Amino acid sequence: MTDVQKRADQVSLIIDGVEVVAEKGELVIRVAERMGIAIPRFCDHPLLAPAGACRQCLVEVEGQRKPVASCTQTVAEGMVVKTQLSSPVAAKAQAGVMELLLINHPLDCPTCDKGGECPLQNQAMSTGRADSRFKEEKREYEKPIHISSQVLLDRERCVLCQRCTRFSEEIAGDKFIDLMDRSSGEQINVYRDDFFGGAGTGDGQVGEGEGDVAFNSYFSGNTIQICPVGALTGEQYRFRARPFDLVSTPSACEHCASGCSQRTDHRRGKVLRRLAGDDPAVNEEWNCDKGRWGFRYATATDRILTPQIRDTKTGELREASWSEALLAAAEGLKAAKERGVGVLTGGRLTVEDAYAYAKFARTVLGTNDVDFRARPLRATGSPVTTTEEADFLAAAVAGITEVTYEQVENAPSVVLAGLEPEEESPILFLRLRKGHIRRKLRVTAVSAYLSRGLEKIGAALVAAVPGDEAHILASDAAVAEALGAPGALLIVGERLATVPGALSAAADLAARTGAKLAWVPRRAGDRGAIDAGCLPNLLPGGRPVTDDAARAALSLAWKVDAGVVPGTPGRDTDRIIAAAADGTLGALLVGGVDPADLADPTLAENALDTVPFLVSLEMRQSAVTRRADVVLPIAPAVEKAGTYMDWEGRLRSFGAVLKSTAMTDGRVLEAIAALLDVSLNTGDVNAVRRELGGLPGSTLPSPVRPSVAAARAAQPAENQAVLATWHQLIDLGSLLDGDQVLAGTARPPVARIGKDLAESLGLADGDLVTVGTDRGSITLPAAITDLPPRVVWLPTNSPGSTVRRSLGVTAGAVVTLTAGVPGPILAEEAAR
Amino acid sequence: MTQPRQEVLQKLTPVLTKRWLSPDAWQIGVYEQLDGYRAIRKALDVHPDDLIQLIKDSGLRGRGGAGFPTGLKWGFIPQGDGKPHYLVINADEGEPGTCKDLPLMTYDPHSLVEGAIIASYAIRANRAFIYIRGEAVHAARRLRNAVQEAYAKGYLGKNILGSGFDLDLVVHSGAGAYICGEETALLDSLEGFRGQPRLRPPFPAIAGLYASPTVVNNVGTIASVPYIVLGGADWWKSMGTEKSSGPMIYSLSGRVVNPGQYECGLGITLRELIELAGGMQPGHNLKFWTPGGSSTPLLTAEHIDTPMDFEGVAAAGSILGTTAMQIFSDQDCPVYNTWRWLEFYHHESCGKCTPCREGNYWMVRTYRRILAGHGTVKDLDTLQDTADNIFGRSFCGLGDGAATPVVSTLKWFRDDYLGYIEGRTAPRLSEKSLVGAH
Amino acid sequence: MGTFTGSFKGFGVTFAHMFRKVITTDYPFSPPKPAPRYHGRHILNRHPDGLEKCIGCELCAWACPADAIYVEGGDNTDEQRFSPGERYAKIYQINYARCIFCGLCIEACPTRSLTMSNEYELARDSRQDLIFTKKELLAPLLPGMEQPPHPMLLGETDKDYYVGALTNPGTSVGAERAPISQGDAE
Repeated sequence: MTDVQKRADQVSLIIDGVEVVAEKGELVIRVAERMGIAIPRFCDHPLLAPAGACRQCLVEVEGQRKPVASCTQTVAEGMVVKTQLSSPVAAKAQAGVMELLLINHPLDCPTCDKGGECPLQNQAMSTGRADSRFKEEKREYEKPIHISSQVLLDRERCVLCQRCTRFSEEIAGDKFIDLMDRSSGEQINVYRDDFFGGAGTGDGQVGEGEGDVAFNSYFSGNTIQICPVGALTGEQYRFRARPFDLVSTPSACEHCASGCSQRTDHRRGKVLRRLAGDDPAVNEEWNCDKGRWGFRYATATDRILTPQIRDTKTGELREASWSEALLAAAEGLKAAKERGVGVLTGGRLTVEDAYAYAKFARTVLGTNDVDFRARPLRATGSPVTTTEEADFLAAAVAGITEVTYEQVENAPSVVLAGLEPEEESPILFLRLRKGHIRRKLRVTAVSAYLSRGLEKIGAALVAAVPGDEAHILASDAAVAEALGAPGALLIVGERLATVPGALSAAADLAARTGAKLAWVPRRAGDRGAIDAGCLPNLLPGGRPVTDDAARAALSLAWKVDAGVVPGTPGRDTDRIIAAAADGTLGALLVGGVDPADLADPTLAENALDTVPFLVSLEMRQSAVTRRADVVLPIAPAVEKAGTYMDWEGRLRSFGAVLKSTAMTDGRVLEAIAALLDVSLNTGDVNAVRRELGGLPGSTLPSPVRPSVAAARAAQPAENQAVLATWHQLIDLGSLLDGDQVLAGTARPPVARIGKDLAESLGLADGDLVTVGTDRGSITLPAAITDLPPRVVWLPTNSPGSTVRRSLGVTAGAVVTLTAGVPGPILAEEAAR
Repeated sequence: MTQPRQEVLQKLTPVLTKRWLSPDAWQIGVYEQLDGYRAIRKALDVHPDDLIQLIKDSGLRGRGGAGFPTGLKWGFIPQGDGKPHYLVINADEGEPGTCKDLPLMTYDPHSLVEGAIIASYAIRANRAFIYIRGEAVHAARRLRNAVQEAYAKGYLGKNILGSGFDLDLVVHSGAGAYICGEETALLDSLEGFRGQPRLRPPFPAIAGLYASPTVVNNVGTIASVPYIVLGGADWWKSMGTEKSSGPMIYSLSGRVVNPGQYECGLGITLRELIELAGGMQPGHNLKFWTPGGSSTPLLTAEHIDTPMDFEGVAAAGSILGTTAMQIFSDQDCPVYNTWRWLEFYHHESCGKCTPCREGNYWMVRTYRRILAGHGTVKDLDTLQDTADNIFGRSFCGLGDGAATPVVSTLKWFRDDYLGYIEGRTAPRLSEKSLVGAH
Repeated sequence: MGTFTGSFKGFGVTFAHMFRKVITTDYPFSPPKPAPRYHGRHILNRHPDGLEKCIGCELCAWACPADAIYVEGGDNTDEQRFSPGERYAKIYQINYARCIFCGLCIEACPTRSLTMSNEYELARDSRQDLIFTKKELLAPLLPGMEQPPHPMLLGETDKDYYVGALTNPGTSVGAERAPISQGDAE
């Protein structure tokens, strides 16, 4: 045992006669796998704790009386392991276990979704007998049962490996399913009461009795993927296809800034399912249900496939040829250039497309009026002249890739502010949870209340009335102390922009404590848009527009005259909307923005109505396309290649899954630019990538971080409260349209109020409460939660709770509370 | 009934059982009169390490079945690690045929309480648990009463007898699962989880109850401790054999005239025990017997002179187990009995691992078919093979225990099986028993 | 002399054939009957109550070396039941422009739903018509059969249904004279 070099933390052992070096504590099954010896297994999963339940992976270890389970056996120096390849004992043991597993397994293979990609099938072929000696009756269960509107369970197919229960307990933290009964009647099933925190979502499909809890987890789809048999299946994919019929393409998730790698399976031009990809650096082997099942929007009936222009005679939109529509767009933009054109882009853009918009704005339109932020940029009522967030992004985010998932997992302490990870960045949530469970990561959350998601990552709450976050980040001792340890991280969400001074305080706090700072946006395209230059103060590559040298270098690279790129920062989303609404703007170019996401949807729609010329690059009918003068259809993520940049700043490139004639935003913009005699060169994704790679590096020091004074929370009067709000993962987002089954797993919208408000309003859990502003009101069942005094929480964009549209305000605003549904008089009063 | 000979009667060594027949020995007053709570006064005066050494010297081995040296087990507990230590007493006596802990807890509960105090002191545990089988309501009631009495008298609680040693003793009733007699499943159950065996390592001595060092001992083991403390290691070793020291409660059941518990030094033979129990029932001849519950390989009439100690029984190809001896005669059918045991194991399998969960399901059905007269010779090979696939392949010992009677009856009594298969023996089960999958 | 014998030699084959049995068939007036196991066009069989035997498992499509079969599964519901069990073939197509009649598909069929008939008259005048769908492939309804969708008529439970089916096996009799093959495809 001496001819193999090994370190002190390694051991050498012999597997099937071959000497191998392994890390101390490594499992035999992993070492064998590395050597290319496949030991059959079911319960074993590299990301779950060993269970040793299925006994399929038995091997012979010299000196042991009985065969040992290689998935639980750690390596030892000098150990001699014989797998089924060299040991008749191990082979017999494995064949025996396989036969036992099969005696109660139904012959569903022809109809089972797993058939064709089933570990049980495959290993029965490799390890099992050709025939069965079992003549008795098989176990039968009612099949299938709905665990949630999405997940179905066929208990008789289950081999009780416990992967799903271990996943739900160890990884997701939602103990929604568990083992029940014992002996051969042991089964996986769901809890029939709300013992484990489910709020009784009651999708009407679960169980027999009242009070049943649906599978209330955002990660339930992973259990389907890791099930080694077809016991867990998804409603959306069940019976739709067989695996051997599907074409698999690696892809990246377009839903949020977590950056999951995925696998998209399609057949005959139609996406049938998506699976979590295996990327240890990012999502490991998991993804969230939104990413897994939210792909039907691309095939919705309101998809636009043909360009449309507004008919000058009838004033209605009509279908037009591409050349006609492009010409109309080019002419309209050219005519409006004098008065100014604003460019608004949304969160769905790839880096390449965002770059195309940024370049188009600067070279074709000669403006810096471009902004990707389709959300409230500042507190309700704040003057639109503040540029705190843009300055923060320029100073602390653009071009910086300091914090990674790995650092999150290994950090000693993490402080979260303005971020609800489970709802807003689920994979970050899983990493935080992994760090918390495996490495005792300390999480401190500056938030309105300790949500279930925060509980699952063991967060200590620093309770903040919305609006007070800046003050807390600037002066709270516990927060500063939590960031003291080397490697500590401060993670802030995009929502912090709505608190004056909060981003300044965060940047300041990070600088003061030496903690690294990460900014986590919600959408997949947000981070990439910053680096691609879709901000009024930043050029591509994070160069400030005010910097002459940067402009000159870029002009040279873009082959445009020095004066073309303006040297003053442009207007941001709010100011572009304001300018459009008051008629000063000549035209708007809008790509992928839903006015309902903006701070004031009514004002935004008003602006869209008022602006003389509106070009919309859109995939589906929307509030923008209905008002546009020219509508140019573009490709959904599945039909184009591109790159997203996740919150880490990591590039997530993907190729087109489906072949289609749909064009990227970049290609459409290139065509418009060509009609205006500018060569944009953004039509081909590879060309854009080459161009981005070839841009001269920025040698400038980071811009100075903003220093806005910390604001304090508003002081609500009698019957008023401060509004806290954030998005739920599964909500009314337009990328979730068309999937009722997925919507069935959403958390039910509730208005969370503290005990003080419940008492003063005389409300109990479940009673209706109405939250109103002078714009309108929202009525939801109350959920009494441990909130700071005089704070009410609403989901931002869930059924029955569209905060921005109905109330016209954002977090930190003062709202009026009334018990019950507003009667006509109350409603009138609220309206006044 | 024949009276046992004098020299056989002398082999009885009532130690643990000595108070069982004293009226009201379960009350603390009576117990104290009968030497009760004297041992703890002695024990609390010496250093805990000396107590562990005493138990090591006595050669006391675990009475729960495996026969692991108790002193050694106690010595595994890391001292000065800053973690709480726990003593857990396994009173989940559920092995078919076994009946030694329940009478002890019913008639002499204080001896267990006293043993628990000494053992906790030795391993520096301030909290001890007695996990008692859920069905044993009467014994649990007596035990709870004893614990209350001990608290009232200051034998439990803070600063016991002024020694500065604190101990809380909790009697916890299980919910009726045989698997919870397995020590790690017992710990899971005690923690409030589903009773399923845990992965080992880590062993309970390192990470047991609430991930802290824990000693799990059988009732008989702990109840022996006060006597060793009082009598000394040498006195204890004067009973039994060299490697299996001390007295043992043998529970005899089945075809003997006086079934019951007989406490003798380890190493006594079945012949002598049957004589103590008044001989075989009239008209019955010994055919086969379990040395230590149904999970131990069966022995036959030819093994009647095997010394009943850990080594002797092992030499005969079986295990001493819990010394629960079920005596079967030529009027009993080994096939039928094996089926009854299998139904028990099938019902009690926790379901965690495949061999035990599915293997028992299968074997039970095969037995039903054989007993209903539909067996084939091939079934016997299948049974043997299935039992082989369970034995040593399952997660814990339950699967091994289930396969054991199958293997031993197939070994000794294959002809009895062939009787059903060839139609020589009348079927014992009706067709009805074959219907249904559950 | 040589010429005379030479021409006899030359016509030898011709003359010899004049006395042999004629093998020309009088198609289409008296079409020949192929061997019983001849691989003809496929049939999708039915259960005795008319429900389809096909469960939409796609194993035939997988087995097909010519990629001639396309299947898409669908959910049976209590209101819309096409086959016993949970799954049925929502779409079933065999492309006879591709099919090589190897029979691997019927080997693969787990329910004996797909079998082959002896019918060989498969010429069509367009490629489109060579794609046979469920309409063409399903066995005709025999007496006692009912057009799906309808509930399982042979028994309440799966067990009753299939045990009943054993005494009353489904059939493909007459399928080779399904409407489509009597005339041209529409």
